Amino acid sequence: MSAVDRLNVSDRERSEPRSSREWLGGRASGVLLIVALLSLWELSSRLGWVVSAYWPPVSQILAAAFAQLMGGEILLSLAATMRRAAIGYAAASAAGIVLGIVLARSRLLRCGLLPLIEIVRPMPTPAIIPPLILFLGVDDALKIFIVALASFFPIFTTTYAGVAAVDDTLIQTARTFRTSWARTLYAVVLPAVVPAIAAGLRTATGLCIVVAVLSEMIAGSSGIGYYLIETQYAMRPDLMYAAVLYLALTGYALNRVFLAIEMRAIPWMGKS
Amino acid sequence: MPRSSEPDGIGYWAGVSPAIVLCIWELAGRLGWTNPILLPNPTQIVAALAALVASGGILTPLVHTVGLFVVGFTLAAVIGTGIGIAMATSRRLYGLLEPLVEMLRPIPKPALVPVLFLFLGIGKATMIALVVLAGMFPVLISTYQGVRGLDPVLLETARTFQISRSRMIASIILPASLPMILAGMRVALGLGLVLVILAEMLAAQEGIGFRILDLERSFQIRDMFAWIVVLVLLGAAMMKVFDVAERNLVPWRGRS
Repeated sequence: MSAVDRLNVSDRERSEPRSSREWLGGRASGVLLIVALLSLWELSSRLGWVVSAYWPPVSQILAAAFAQLMGGEILLSLAATMRRAAIGYAAASAAGIVLGIVLARSRLLRCGLLPLIEIVRPMPTPAIIPPLILFLGVDDALKIFIVALASFFPIFTTTYAGVAAVDDTLIQTARTFRTSWARTLYAVVLPAVVPAIAAGLRTATGLCIVVAVLSEMIAGSSGIGYYLIETQYAMRPDLMYAAVLYLALTGYALNRVFLAIEMRAIPWMGKS
Repeated sequence: MPRSSEPDGIGYWAGVSPAIVLCIWELAGRLGWTNPILLPNPTQIVAALAALVASGGILTPLVHTVGLFVVGFTLAAVIGTGIGIAMATSRRLYGLLEPLVEMLRPIPKPALVPVLFLFLGIGKATMIALVVLAGMFPVLISTYQGVRGLDPVLLETARTFQISRSRMIASIILPASLPMILAGMRVALGLGLVLVILAEMLAAQEGIGFRILDLERSFQIRDMFAWIVVLVLLGAAMMKVFDVAERNLVPWRGRS
């Protein structure tokens, strides 16, 4: 999991304020590259270098994306997907944090539950969907459950590792002062593990959208994942690319929002 | 973060609770508490699995899935490491590629499955491309972090000795940032497997993913569970192989 940790640190560094001139100065060539690639795409389609129904010009995709703003199916589908992702994420956060703390502090529960968690963990998410369809149907219950299950692991793992890594001296000190169990948890353990929990929560924010989309693809009847498959079969690549664009924007925005909250709420993160 | 080898006080207890769960599951099945069509007993699943292995039918799908995965994962690792090192060692390449990477990275990778199917057609090349796309970004970013985080003294020393750029990358930068590169590859491993299975479910005519969804749709639930067991074992085996490889490649990991 250390990769995930370091990524977080790096993203924090990257998100630190810097002057816009400095930003553009280093990246002007990169922005140009993107513009060049997009122009090439546009031209190749317009001038017929690539003759394919699946290769619409960029402008057409942007037009389709823009038209969707005036009330289109994409935004409705996206909203449905995000709702499922959010509910699953909330459930996973609660379960992951609570179990992470409890299992790290109690040997009995650890012996009982950790092996079970370790068995389920390596299972690729798409594989769990077909058997669950049998029990939960193909509606919200299935997708929310899958999102929750997949998001649970990073949150649980980082919380568990974070609690296990809390300096024992802190806890011993609290014990010396006869601090109650609940107070030790609240005033000593929790602040020390919040950065670890935040790291897990952040990994899970990206993951919950991914899983919501893929579950809709496999067992879909609504949502943006289903919409993507639908437009693939309907041969509407412009709408499909527009949907991907919206998804990418959502993913990017979520990450940014998370970073902003993290920086405000946990200023001590990444400094120990 | 504690190392995986750190004792968590479980030891031999690790097998107890799964065994209890399996016993309850088996009992519930035998006593008729569960619907035997929807949820076969563990013994029935094991029997189905044994039949699968005995008939040799396990081979083709397994080879299909593993083949796609290994090719895609290798490419992702090589490309991700290469671009990561390039971006970390050259200011100019960083400026050139960073906006593109930042643009592509937040796309949820499953969303690219239908896109690539339309684009490259349905086939093995497409599925490999998906694994590459999913796997290369974690490797790339982790590599970049690893190289940027290297001790400047190390690099300055090399520069003092006027080592050539390629030699510096091969004998200093690459080994020193290996732990981070491997950490990125570990993330890519899980993601890659997810993408292979998803792609097989959506479009392949073969492979473990295809089998699982196909058997569910034709209501052969026992065989479906047998294939899921195969997949879990495969995932666990790959993780194990990766752990062993990591321990051999970076024996000093977690000690610094």
